[in-house]
Amino acid sequence: MGAANLHPVHRHTAARRAYDTLAVALRILIYVVLCVIFLVPFAWMLLGSLREEREIFRYLTPFSWRTFVPINWTLDSYLTILGLNELGRAAGYNFGRNLFNSFIVSSAVVISSLFFNTMGAYFFARLPFPKKNLLLLYVIATFLVPFEVTIVPLYIVVRTLHLDNTMWALIVPWYASPFVIFSLMQFMRETIPYELDEAALIDGANYFTTLWRIIVPLSIPGLVTNALLEFQFIWNLFYWPLVAVGDRNLQVLQVVISGTLGQTQQYWGRTFAGSALATIPVVIIFLALQRYYMQGIASTGVKG
Amino acid sequence: MTPDKPLTVWRRRQLIIAFLFILPALINFTVFRYIPIVEAFRASLFQYSLLGGYGDFIGFQHYQRILTDPVFWRSLQATVLFVVYKVPLQIVLSLGLAIFLSRQTVGTAVVRSAILTPMVTSIIIVSIIWAMMYQSQNGLFQSMLLTMGLKKTPFLSDINLALPAVSVMMIWKDIGFSFIIFVAGLKGIPETYYEAAIVDGANRWQIFWNITLPLLRPVLMFVIVTQTIFSFQVFVPVYQMTLGGPLDATKVIVYYIYQQGFRFQDMGYASAISVVTLVMLLLISWLQMRFLRAED
Repeated sequence: MGAANLHPVHRHTAARRAYDTLAVALRILIYVVLCVIFLVPFAWMLLGSLREEREIFRYLTPFSWRTFVPINWTLDSYLTILGLNELGRAAGYNFGRNLFNSFIVSSAVVISSLFFNTMGAYFFARLPFPKKNLLLLYVIATFLVPFEVTIVPLYIVVRTLHLDNTMWALIVPWYASPFVIFSLMQFMRETIPYELDEAALIDGANYFTTLWRIIVPLSIPGLVTNALLEFQFIWNLFYWPLVAVGDRNLQVLQVVISGTLGQTQQYWGRTFAGSALATIPVVIIFLALQRYYMQGIASTGVKG
Repeated sequence: MTPDKPLTVWRRRQLIIAFLFILPALINFTVFRYIPIVEAFRASLFQYSLLGGYGDFIGFQHYQRILTDPVFWRSLQATVLFVVYKVPLQIVLSLGLAIFLSRQTVGTAVVRSAILTPMVTSIIIVSIIWAMMYQSQNGLFQSMLLTMGLKKTPFLSDINLALPAVSVMMIWKDIGFSFIIFVAGLKGIPETYYEAAIVDGANRWQIFWNITLPLLRPVLMFVIVTQTIFSFQVFVPVYQMTLGGPLDATKVIVYYIYQQGFRFQDMGYASAISVVTLVMLLLISWLQMRFLRAED
């Protein structure tokens, strides 16, 4: 809503000025409250991962800045969960391995997904083919398949293919995505002039060369947006890796952190440190590429 | 006209090459999105254990069992309650925030980033941190309550508070999603409408009800439909925070499916509940879409 335009143009009285100052102060206060509400859990996690285990409980009450800010800053919790100190080795922690798995799985999905989805989007956006609309309907109808509800049968299928309890189980089901195909197709249709690739085809280039030389370079913003959303989606998956992979050495970070809180003897510092490791990569990527991210989400709603 | 033979051969080759561009994706969607639905229906007609695989064919017995399974009906109730707690409040709050933060300033940019941070964070991490905040002994909320002179409250083990507590967390987590869509939707409303309304002497409230809301309706419907479908499938917070308790108060459908399939190893029954839930979700989307069309 164009709130700026709602202010009356004339504002010369002192009362008016006082009112405006108050409104600005109130506005800033609300900004601060909102930031606190949305960021305090992260501050608690991050700062809690950087202090000694017993400090977390000792300074919990009364609720003050000491509840959050460490007295003795230390990386012990991180060293423990990564298995880099005595304590960690004795307890058999090796979160580095799981962090690495998360990176491998997410990167593999993003790369394969960019490859196959770009080809699919190019097909729908440009290539002549009989009954292409029916194929598009086949792709779009998958939007209606609810993800969490179909985990049990997906597991049955993956097990039949003997992919269960391998890292392939975390990659293969996602190498193509109907959402990415649809979104890239829209991007190509709306932003790349047909004349460009038609000219290339008339000049004798084949489909693949045209896609690689003309379409892909012009689709970079769309590709970045979708790579970002895909990375975040895979990195943050929990239910599927939980059931698809049993071997702890093959497991992704999200699932092994969950286990640290389930144990009878709980070490909150370690849980905080693991959570921070799982959160920092996505939040950094998000902050760096926020513009693309917002466009990606917004286009799902405004177009769809 | 005589058919030009080399040309048809060439054309057929072009068609085959074109099809190769979409073939990998079609295989993926068939194997990993459509076949699971067929498989769910098939498995629901058999005894099927996690370890032993397919057993005897038993027809519709699993479906009969659903009808008389009190835990299933309780889980349906918990799921619907969760959606009712979460979706309307989330939509009102995110629409309010989108309007409040519509100006492009440094301040709004910072607040926007803050609102979106929970959304990009993994749902399991959010559940872990909030489980620790709600925790009955050393939780952050207990510290706040004690400091304010109030009593400790075991949020997640209180039968009346557990589901609302999970809902509050999920609103906090998902609000960024509806927020971004509303921000984009609001940008799509031409300034001239507002200018005309101001000239006509409309106040903010009138502008909201008569201009913003009607013009935002398609976007609003999209958010309602998608958030209802997403929220109906809530699983991770329940898995991490309450394990469905206390006394099934938070045992939502997808958690119950997980429990039957992967804990009690009864994949046949889990598949039957999956099929029933799938049908319910399709019905909900269909009804909501119809409702959307009917008012146009």
